[in-house]
Amino acid sequence: MNETQTKALAAYLVALADDELILGHRDSEWTGHAPILEEDIAFANLALDEIGHARLWYELAADLMGVERARFPDRQVYFRPAADFRCLQFVELPKGDWAFSMLRQYLFDAFEQHRLARLVKSEYQPLADVAARIRTEEIYHLRHTRAWVPRLGLGTEESRARMQAALDELWPYAQALGAPLPGELELEEEGLVPGGGSLFAVWSAEVTSLLKEASASTSFADNEVEADRAVHSEYFPALIADLQEVAQLDPAAQW
Amino acid sequence: MIDTQWPRFMVFEQAAEGEPFLHNGTVHAPDAEMALLNARDVFARRPDGVAFWVVPAEAIFTRTREELANWVEKTEANQSIGRLIDYYVFGKFEQQAQCRQVGEVSAGSPTAAVQSAIQKYGIADPLWWWVLPKDAVLSSTPQDSDPMFAAAREKTFKDQAEYPVVTLMRELRSKPKADSK
Repeated sequence: MNETQTKALAAYLVALADDELILGHRDSEWTGHAPILEEDIAFANLALDEIGHARLWYELAADLMGVERARFPDRQVYFRPAADFRCLQFVELPKGDWAFSMLRQYLFDAFEQHRLARLVKSEYQPLADVAARIRTEEIYHLRHTRAWVPRLGLGTEESRARMQAALDELWPYAQALGAPLPGELELEEEGLVPGGGSLFAVWSAEVTSLLKEASASTSFADNEVEADRAVHSEYFPALIADLQEVAQLDPAAQW
Repeated sequence: MIDTQWPRFMVFEQAAEGEPFLHNGTVHAPDAEMALLNARDVFARRPDGVAFWVVPAEAIFTRTREELANWVEKTEANQSIGRLIDYYVFGKFEQQAQCRQVGEVSAGSPTAAVQSAIQKYGIADPLWWWVLPKDAVLSSTPQDSDPMFAAAREKTFKDQAEYPVVTLMRELRSKPKADSK
């Protein structure tokens, strides 16, 4: 890779990591509050996995940037201004009800599965290796979250209505999943990363088909999509303040 | 308001191929597939297995040592003329040990299955026997093995004692106010 590509890939990986981190943080808000003990444990596991994946992506970015990989993830998470994060608004939205969090996780996992299937073939071997590691866990996440879609949609009138409401709110934000990540356009040509646009078409067909089977209505109005990852939702500053509060009390503390 | 308590499933885990399945515990789930997924989350975070079985708790027939001591069903069991079905047989042999898979029998009823197990395996006096119809089991598949178990195997886990959060927070709070802006 030349210098431009190296920089582009680091930026790409930080954006991937930011998505995983913020989604994992939102998921972790269910810990102790999920509707049943088994799901509480499952969702806490899942949150921890997502945050672990964020760490792997940050470390890979650190290697490319030539900075110390041991400290980089904490610097990124606890000491970066909110405006510098590159996560999607899709993952920033408050956790909502159980249907909302579960459906968001499903839509995200389904997309990520397609991206990882391509990243494992990346020309940059360290990236391919990490993608393979993450993919094993994500296969399980997807199985769990996908299993919930028909159970919510075909369960009771209340569960169906809650899933539909969640879907109606999430769908416009989910459209940004396929928008190019930072650096993606340069990197795609080199076979380093897949293009989000082609993944999106496959993803969209797949999730729409499952949602229909689960008796959800998938006709949506054409909403404006904010695909710029530098533009954050109104909920984001509070999330970051919450996330960084303790670490910033004493930045030099040894944990 | 519907009953929010889901049915109970027994979870069994196999440590390695060819090994007997051991009883791990129970999970609640709306159905067997979800029970299998919940089993993974509850019991495989620190994995030492290769496969799971989940079985609806109500499908398991139990006979304890006390019940067997004066077993009136014995005579009826011999006369059982039900269609023969295959049962897995489990036994709990020590208070501290997990209930473990012993083998399998064909029998016309659960009581007959217990009786066949006693004859076939000649095991005296477990604390209790469990027999369960083979077709009540939902098993994880070999393809499940990686996502369910392998992913967690590479992880390192820190003991909570390695995170001195309470001590640290106490120190931070006790710092003179002048220190903070």
